[in-house]
Amino acid sequence: MTRTERRNLRNGLLFISPWIFGFIAFQVYPILYSLRLSFSEYSGFGVPAFTGLANFKQMFADDLFWKSAYNTLYYTALAVPIGVVVALAIAIAMNQKVREVAIYRAILYIPSILPIFALSFVWVVFLNPRYGLFNAFWHIFGLPMVDWIGNPAWTKLSIVLMAQLGAGGPALIFLAALRGIPKEILESAEIDGAGTAKKFFRITLPLITPVILYDIILGLSMGLQVFTQAYILSSGAAGTTTAGPRNSLLFYVFYLYKSAFQYTQMGYAAALSWILFLVSVLLALLIFRWSKSWVHYDIS
Amino acid sequence: MKRALLLPMLFALVLASGLAAAPTQITFWTNFTPPFSDYLQKMVDAYNASQSAVQAKLVQVPGSETDISKLMTAVRGGTGPDVYMLDRFTTAERAAAGVLTDLSPFIKKSEPKLADSYLPFAWAESQFQGKTFSLPFDTDTRALYYRADLLKAAGVDVSVLDPKNGPITIDQLKAIAAKYDKKDASGEYTQLGFVPQYNQGWHYTWGFAYGGKFADLKAGKVTPTDPGVVAGFQFLYDWSKNLGPQKVSTFLSTFNPPNVPPEQEMLVTGKVAMCVTGDWYIANMAQYAPNADYGVTYIPVPKKGDKPSTWAGGWSFCVPQGAKNAAAGFDFCKWMAGPVGQKMYVQLSSHLPTIKALMDDKSLFSGKHEFFRQTLAFASSRPALPVGGLYWDALTAAQNDVTDNVALPKDALAKVIDKVQPQLNKFLPLQ
Repeated sequence: MTRTERRNLRNGLLFISPWIFGFIAFQVYPILYSLRLSFSEYSGFGVPAFTGLANFKQMFADDLFWKSAYNTLYYTALAVPIGVVVALAIAIAMNQKVREVAIYRAILYIPSILPIFALSFVWVVFLNPRYGLFNAFWHIFGLPMVDWIGNPAWTKLSIVLMAQLGAGGPALIFLAALRGIPKEILESAEIDGAGTAKKFFRITLPLITPVILYDIILGLSMGLQVFTQAYILSSGAAGTTTAGPRNSLLFYVFYLYKSAFQYTQMGYAAALSWILFLVSVLLALLIFRWSKSWVHYDIS
Repeated sequence: MKRALLLPMLFALVLASGLAAAPTQITFWTNFTPPFSDYLQKMVDAYNASQSAVQAKLVQVPGSETDISKLMTAVRGGTGPDVYMLDRFTTAERAAAGVLTDLSPFIKKSEPKLADSYLPFAWAESQFQGKTFSLPFDTDTRALYYRADLLKAAGVDVSVLDPKNGPITIDQLKAIAAKYDKKDASGEYTQLGFVPQYNQGWHYTWGFAYGGKFADLKAGKVTPTDPGVVAGFQFLYDWSKNLGPQKVSTFLSTFNPPNVPPEQEMLVTGKVAMCVTGDWYIANMAQYAPNADYGVTYIPVPKKGDKPSTWAGGWSFCVPQGAKNAAAGFDFCKWMAGPVGQKMYVQLSSHLPTIKALMDDKSLFSGKHEFFRQTLAFASSRPALPVGGLYWDALTAAQNDVTDNVALPKDALAKVIDKVQPQLNKFLPLQ
């Protein structure tokens, strides 16, 4: 390396040194510390006591660990595909060439900026088996009444539905992708006699697959970390009830939070967080592998 | 020369007198919300006015009986308060985790016989490994509330429920409740006479009602499979089976959803005719159902002639680890949890005191509140375990499985041992 190059390198590092310090102090160090804690017994106070693989052994024998993992994966498996479809549908609706499209866009987008806390309270009223909007809707189609709040089989679906209110954000990204499709391709398809459905499934959809992949990865990471809605819906702050009926809303991060702060088992919580990390990386890798078969990155 | 010294000397004098008079500022954290936080504020103002050495400031923080994450992170980060209001039965758990300061040296110095002024069960909850980690504040008990007006309309002879006749039996409860149950055209319940797991109908409530013991502190074991506890859970199982567990669950989802506002609670609106809840509900009824004719009586007993039961909870004052003014904080705790502070709180909140002398002060208890005062005489309390929160959650999960009729009491409770005992073993011996 020449002297100029070395000097440039040194200056460059100096300029970004604040970020480097921040990165090491607030990202790298806590990650390594939590790795150390995952092999220890620690209440948050005093000195962590090294216990080897005890936390991991406890985890595999803990039925709430398996339950929270199942709840989270079930929720993610439901929420991600439904989220993609809903966001895409909203984006298509926002892309229509009508005069008042600006008003429709605002209406479709506003739910995603409402605070989750307030939404959760409103949602509980919607979900009421007797007086709620959902069951009134259901009733019109002659379907039997569903206990969204008290029946463990349905509670996760109610959270998935609530999460769709936040579809406005991804919808905007899909909208940008839709508008990025060259008009010429669609026009030439129309000239060749393609109908709306064929145009959509043969041209539009393949061209926006990179954005769909992005939304899936985003949805996956957010789904695996779902916490707020369950915390509020189960009056989690009171800490005296189970998380949803029969712990059906005990999501992984919620269980992690309980272990850390209510049961003061920091070491166990750290072990839980590392397993979450490993599983997330594994799932992301699998999805990237799978995406090679259906994502088209060039317009040709 | 002398004149040159005059000004610095004057300055030094003023400074010294100012420093000597400067009161110690302490912070006091509580997760109470209005109206209870307002009562506490009144008490803090009274404390500050009563002396000038210590000035306390009340700060509301998020949290609950079992969620003290805000306190833990603050103490860990060195920004914790001097005093915290802690759910008393979690004292052992928090002391075991290392969050609390041992108050025994302060007690020894200021009032060695402090323990004698408190009710024994309350003092016992504040101990861990022979040391005192909190000062008991208030307590509360549970009883059976019944809507006399609604039951009369349903054709029930409510004189049976008068506490003067002693506790009613479970069978009598069943018969009375059945008269109030109503279904609508679709087969769902629109009102129920009694739902045992509602409000304060916890595992502890029914376990104690059937004479169960939840822990053997000497042996360092949790005992959820104690015959009395199993019998209490069997009662819950059978009650749900009789009404239909899915229908009960739907009833509760409809009329008692999460975060239900107090004016829509089931006893207030008459969706249930009876429920087990605590002394604080007197204030609720006065505010939201002032015209309701209701009574309170003992929690029902399994057989005629059995002694009545209830259990008492309550709060306490503690000094967290790393408090910058521990001594001043203790002084504040002693006042708030002492005769003056507790008397103020009882008058404001209609809770019960834990100071023996105040129990005999008849002026503090009127009407239905007097009934609750009497129940303290036979009240049980939850075992002071270092795994209290974990045990509660595990029992609740077991109770849910039982009331939903997806598990038999013995099996559900055996799972509790598997979950909790290994954690408890880490803290043995307890004494």
